[in-house]
Amino acid sequence: MEQQVTVAIIEDHPVVTEGVASWIRSDPGRRVRLVHTARDLTGLRGESRPSADVVILDLELSGELVTAQIPGLVATGYRVVAFSGHSDPAIVMETLDSGAHAYVSKEEGSEHLVEAVLAAAGDRPYVTRSQARAMLADQRPGRPELSQQELQALLLWFQGMSKASVGRRMSISENTVRQYISRARAKYAATGRTAPSKDALLARAIEDGVIKPGEIMPYTSFARAAANRPSLGTPGQ
Amino acid sequence: MTAVQPATVMSGRYQRAFTIAVVFLVAGWHLGGAGGQLLHNRADYGSFAFQCAMWLVMAVAIAVGSVLVLRGSLDWRLAWALAVVALVASTASAAASPAGQMLAVNWAWGSAGWTGVLLLHRRRFAELAWFLAVEAAATLGVQAWDGLDRIDLAGFLALLAWSTGAQIAVAGAVKALDAAADRAGTAARSEDATRERAATAEIIRAARHARWLALQESTVPLVAELASGTADPGDPQLRVRCAVQAARLRRLMAEGDELPGSLVHELHASADVAELRGVAVEIETAGTLPQVPAPARRVITDAAIAILTAARSQARITLATVTAGIAVSFVADTGSVVLLPAADQGVAIEHQQDGSMLWAEARWNNR
Repeated sequence: MEQQVTVAIIEDHPVVTEGVASWIRSDPGRRVRLVHTARDLTGLRGESRPSADVVILDLELSGELVTAQIPGLVATGYRVVAFSGHSDPAIVMETLDSGAHAYVSKEEGSEHLVEAVLAAAGDRPYVTRSQARAMLADQRPGRPELSQQELQALLLWFQGMSKASVGRRMSISENTVRQYISRARAKYAATGRTAPSKDALLARAIEDGVIKPGEIMPYTSFARAAANRPSLGTPGQ
Repeated sequence: MTAVQPATVMSGRYQRAFTIAVVFLVAGWHLGGAGGQLLHNRADYGSFAFQCAMWLVMAVAIAVGSVLVLRGSLDWRLAWALAVVALVASTASAAASPAGQMLAVNWAWGSAGWTGVLLLHRRRFAELAWFLAVEAAATLGVQAWDGLDRIDLAGFLALLAWSTGAQIAVAGAVKALDAAADRAGTAARSEDATRERAATAEIIRAARHARWLALQESTVPLVAELASGTADPGDPQLRVRCAVQAARLRRLMAEGDELPGSLVHELHASADVAELRGVAVEIETAGTLPQVPAPARRVITDAAIAILTAARSQARITLATVTAGIAVSFVADTGSVVLLPAADQGVAIEHQQDGSMLWAEARWNNR
């Protein structure tokens, strides 16, 4: 059996923490183990911080948006999955740009949270419908250019189809649907500010054949591409 | 801020044309009439230079007055200050003329009167009348000082009738033309407003008629069947028809408002009935949605009503901006194939059934 993924929950509402813990417990494969829960981020700083592969982070703690704390968490080696009641595309984009692996809205939690945690632990892209929505709505000048196929897959996924149905609709395999959606996500990891989590995601995407290095070059400045290259060579760290 | 009515613009243009005509008339008189007389009689003045200086003073008063009148920035203080300058220059010129020949060589009385017309023609008529009366009295005063016989008095009255009469006639004509332009403007304005009201009333009437027709077709027969007892409320088919008609009634009520988000609003209204049945409906949008014309919205909401009526427990409606239009999609557990409206009004509808789940997309293209 594969080693369990360890997870911490940072959430200021105990009832939500309890709900997330029950989703983790009811996972048939018992693939995730809860190691730490807290109502704020103080326990994740300093020398005696718990070791966890993934942090499930409520974006609003005691009424304050904590997207600005994500780069710090990522820098200390945590992978972050945002779990939020917000679904505003601008907040979703800000969260991903800050280095979070995935964004799961509270409505999507029961279906997607455990899977998103597992994907994050493996540095693999995971795109929820709220993430697809934010990518479709994105009009920022620095956004990556997505192909027609990637956009169509994202649109159908956002609309609520299962990936198998998207595949039937587009006359491609379910696996290719995943590939298109993951590639769109990887292109996002290659834009905006740099973060070790984004580099890791991109490196894994290249390793898995989701995306070719050439496909991300036009959206990265030469200086940044050069700075990123060393970390691209050592994935999974 | 109120929009400028075309009628107001029109009457404003006429009034400006009258003002320009008065400016040309006064300047023309001072240059040609008064200036000509001044030159013709130059040998007869005690001091030709002093007369020229007074002529220039009046010319400056006319020039300044003209600019202010044309710019519309002449207030009563400035108007009267310039009028007094003209009055003083004219009286000084008369007083400096040789006794006995004053009326014969006088160029200034006429010019001062026309200056008064220029400065005061848009003010109350009494103000101009007062000015012309004081001007005439001053000239008569100078003549009386020099000695006033019957011939002089006859000359004075003749000049008064000719020059002051013409000035009053011009000022009166401008007043009358202003009033006519104003009346024309008001008439045109009220005609515009009436036409606009009629057009709005027609739009509202047409919209009401369309709603009434829509009810005649479907809702009225259903209500009649229920009332007469021929329809059985226990029949599931009838319940579906009732749900559809209830959703349509809600949509008709929502259709009144023309807002950027009216499609979302109408979809919410269409979803209300399904939600009352216990179907969980979520509506999400991606991107800034374009405004969809009402006939196209109706095709889309018809599809929504058909699908939501068939939904058993859940439905997801999404609106996304796509190239040149909008894609409205529905995913619902309808169980069976739903009869969807035909493509119409630039809306194309596609669907795909996967087991119990129906996916349908209504795509409106603005090209």
